Amino acid sequence: MRLWLNHLRRTPLVLFLILYTIVAGGPFLWVMSMSLRTTPEIFDNPYALPVKLHWEKFANAWFNSNYGTYFWNSIIVVVAAVALLTLIGAMAAHCLARYRFRGSRLVRFVILSGMILPPQLLILSLFQILLDYGLYNSLFGLIIVYVASQLAMTVYILEGFFAQLPQDLFDAARMDGYADFEIFWRITLPIGIPAIFTTVTLNFIILWNEYLYAVVLLTDDDKRTLPLGIMHFMGGHQLDVGMIATGLMIAIAPVILLYALFSETMIKGMTAGAVR
Amino acid sequence: MATVSIDKLSKHYAGGSEPAVKAVSLTVADGEFMVLLGPSGCGKSSVLRMIAGLEPITSGTVAIDGRPMNQVPAKDRDIAMVFQSYALYPHMTVHANLAFGLRRRRVPGAEIDRRVRGVAEKLGLTPFLVRKPHALSGGQRQRVALGRAIVRDPKVFLFDEPLSNLDAALRVSTRNELIKQQHELGTTTIYVTHDQVEAMTMGDRICIMNKGEVVQIGKPLEVYRNPADAFVARFLGNPPMNLLPARLEVAGDRVVARFADLALDLPGYALPALKPHVGGAVTLGIRPEDLYEAPPPGMATRTQPIETRVVAVEPLGAETLLMLTIGDSGPEIIARIGRDTGLRSGGGASIAVDPQALHLFDPTTTKAIPRTA
Repeated sequence: MRLWLNHLRRTPLVLFLILYTIVAGGPFLWVMSMSLRTTPEIFDNPYALPVKLHWEKFANAWFNSNYGTYFWNSIIVVVAAVALLTLIGAMAAHCLARYRFRGSRLVRFVILSGMILPPQLLILSLFQILLDYGLYNSLFGLIIVYVASQLAMTVYILEGFFAQLPQDLFDAARMDGYADFEIFWRITLPIGIPAIFTTVTLNFIILWNEYLYAVVLLTDDDKRTLPLGIMHFMGGHQLDVGMIATGLMIAIAPVILLYALFSETMIKGMTAGAVR
Repeated sequence: MATVSIDKLSKHYAGGSEPAVKAVSLTVADGEFMVLLGPSGCGKSSVLRMIAGLEPITSGTVAIDGRPMNQVPAKDRDIAMVFQSYALYPHMTVHANLAFGLRRRRVPGAEIDRRVRGVAEKLGLTPFLVRKPHALSGGQRQRVALGRAIVRDPKVFLFDEPLSNLDAALRVSTRNELIKQQHELGTTTIYVTHDQVEAMTMGDRICIMNKGEVVQIGKPLEVYRNPADAFVARFLGNPPMNLLPARLEVAGDRVVARFADLALDLPGYALPALKPHVGGAVTLGIRPEDLYEAPPPGMATRTQPIETRVVAVEPLGAETLLMLTIGDSGPEIIARIGRDTGLRSGGGASIAVDPQALHLFDPTTTKAIPRTA
């Protein structure tokens, strides 16, 4: 009786989870099935399951549509930007969380105010600045823009985590003979791993999918990143839906891989300090 | 091994209305175990942190072996500190925690390992060397924190309430362990606590602080027996000393302390010392253990009786605490007597007091009145 009641009580939750899974996973599965079908097949019946699996589309996208280049461009830009963001963001967060210095509140305000500025507001001025410094249409220029755009969120997350680390740990390291930078390197960074994984994952996903800065600041085809590459299939008069789906599956693979590897650590970082 | 001297040390925190530490001067001799004792917020931890170099000094000097340390960063002072929270590095094993300070000092790897294992052996930590702090009990963590200080063989040990996170039984055993280690190593030690039992049992000398100032420095029993003021008298001792308002009056060729309807002789005080206070108000101090249900053998002739009413009886097993009022509704006092007592709350009791053990304080300044002129 009691077991039955328990099941009944859980029913709304289970129904909600089923509905959420359909809403979240449905489009993904649909794109996955389309990635293995040809465009005529899709236009014939958009919701049908693949009859024949067209794996050759992946090779076709990679080799014939310049996808390999877009992929490596994305890897270079995103990995470099995330590495720089992690290092600079962690150092800034460590300083803001640990040291009281004149103007620290102003510095924090200036860094964090970056979060409230939408990219649409900055894009014209960024375009001009990159042009002036010869960084327009270069991966390096895009990396710098990505670092600047994500620094506020990175510092915000890391500072929240670092501020919770007990001051005694840092005092103990000072008594053990370590200087400020060594303390950052040997104490803050290793202890902050869960929070750092969180920012790495979030930044990777956001920058991997970033479109606006890339479309404005890159023009050469061989410098494009993946989100621009996918748009390549959306011509003026034709829409190659099948290839777009294949491109999306290639683009999404690294994100899924990263999330599968770090999701547990990331959740730890997000909930750190919530429960003692 | 080192002598630590601090001279007129002051600390004013930004935003604080008054200094947290006011002109504290103190010298800790080579190999001495000095305890800084006081209630929370009295400035004792600030003094310790200034000695460590973790807190900037507002004014005054800290010197080790005569060399001023004010401008020397914490990392170069060759001081080891044990924190209340232990402050073990959570991402390192016990071995790495112990070795961390030695690594920074470029001690060769083999030597580090030898010293770490030596200290671990001494503190019973050998089986835990590969564990991380979260897998240790509170007592084991405490020993790792102690080991981290010992392994460096520093000039000075600083302890900031290291036992306050331990349960009562572990606290006693760790306290004894700490005393043993300090005696073996002979390292100059400054130990901050608010626990008077730790102060009395551990320190060669204790320095009692209140409101940012040093109130009294001395050997534990000396301070206990001759408190410099009413604060020290109340702070040291559990239950605290009874303080009663009284007047000094001349009775024939003697001076007596009169309160309620009683006149107590003051054989512990020389007449000339009391003269300036005759006719004036004083604060009379009586330790609970100087009150007796029945005068002990040999003391009957010198004790004086106080008629009281028993408010409450608290048998603690080894002893009994009595809450008493003097007369029927006079001031309340506490007596500590033997475990076997027939007294019941609500009844009357004639309590014997040893006049030799009475203390007098100036009620205005709260300073102790000297026993000799």
